[in-house]
Amino acid sequence: MNIMKIRVRVFGRYKDITKKDVIQLNIREGNTIGDVVDSFVKQYPVTERDKSRMMVSKNKMYTSFDTVITEGDEITLSPPVVSGG
Amino acid sequence: MITDRYRRQTLIKELGQKGQELLATKHVTVIGGGGLGSHSANLLVRMGVGSIDIIDNDIVDLTNLHRTSVFSEDDIGKSKALILEQRLQSVNTKVRVKGFNQKVTAKNIWSLVQNADVIIDGTDSIPLRLLINDISIQHNIPWVYAGVYETVGMVMGIHPKKTSCFRCIAQEIPKTKAQETPVLGSLPAIIAAIQCNETIKLLLGRQPSGLLIYNVWNQCFDTLNIKRNPHCPTCGIQKKNALRKK
Repeated sequence: MNIMKIRVRVFGRYKDITKKDVIQLNIREGNTIGDVVDSFVKQYPVTERDKSRMMVSKNKMYTSFDTVITEGDEITLSPPVVSGG
Repeated sequence: MITDRYRRQTLIKELGQKGQELLATKHVTVIGGGGLGSHSANLLVRMGVGSIDIIDNDIVDLTNLHRTSVFSEDDIGKSKALILEQRLQSVNTKVRVKGFNQKVTAKNIWSLVQNADVIIDGTDSIPLRLLINDISIQHNIPWVYAGVYETVGMVMGIHPKKTSCFRCIAQEIPKTKAQETPVLGSLPAIIAAIQCNETIKLLLGRQPSGLLIYNVWNQCFDTLNIKRNPHCPTCGIQKKNALRKK
């Protein structure tokens, strides 16, 4: 399977953690947003607690973890919604 | 008739006298009267929203005082909703303020919000926000989510079928109830002020700005203007599951 480099825009505290606005991740063809999240968490283990609840979008549309990524897709990752009041 | 009270506000081109008069005809329901809800209700009363309901079945606790500005030590043990009604009504006798010392449930939510032009989220619970979201999408009532944690706040105005909904961004509900939420005392006032701005825009028929994430510690502000999830189980055009029947 081909390896694709994808650009992932990050928001909120993920900018502090990564020290970047945009990061590059290597994923395999046919991988999903969930795989992107896995790869992100592996690279930045401090985000582990957010893993199943991250806000994810593809091409400026919110999406779910099972969405397949194709080359050139624009992905965003944001921390989960905060719940205190 | 707009009096001197709002003169400085009507000078703003985004509002004007017409907008101010429109606000006076609007009804907002605030669910939750704690850190966020009490500040939001306070601002909306002062800004001249015509009618405001505040719903909360909780009492004022000593631990609320660091992040609220309406309550005092004398209020400890008293109903948040009823104290807010009393205090805020005296701030502006030209608007109607009503407190409801009541828990919001799936059974009673419709009766509590059916007259609202906008619902304000002052809760501290994801399941309750999902309930507000369901009723909002089902009955086409805009609402404004806000939440705080440590030094970070989030706000999102939700206009049913036009913007993303809460379910588009909160896919999984936490399985366990969160421990006591750490919150910087200044944070809810800031986030509630942003929540109010989004509410006023919705009341005036304008579009909200998307999801706002603000870290007040490092002054990092993000705006995410991302479209609805087409497969969102609540608002999606191609939703997989029908809305729960109420």
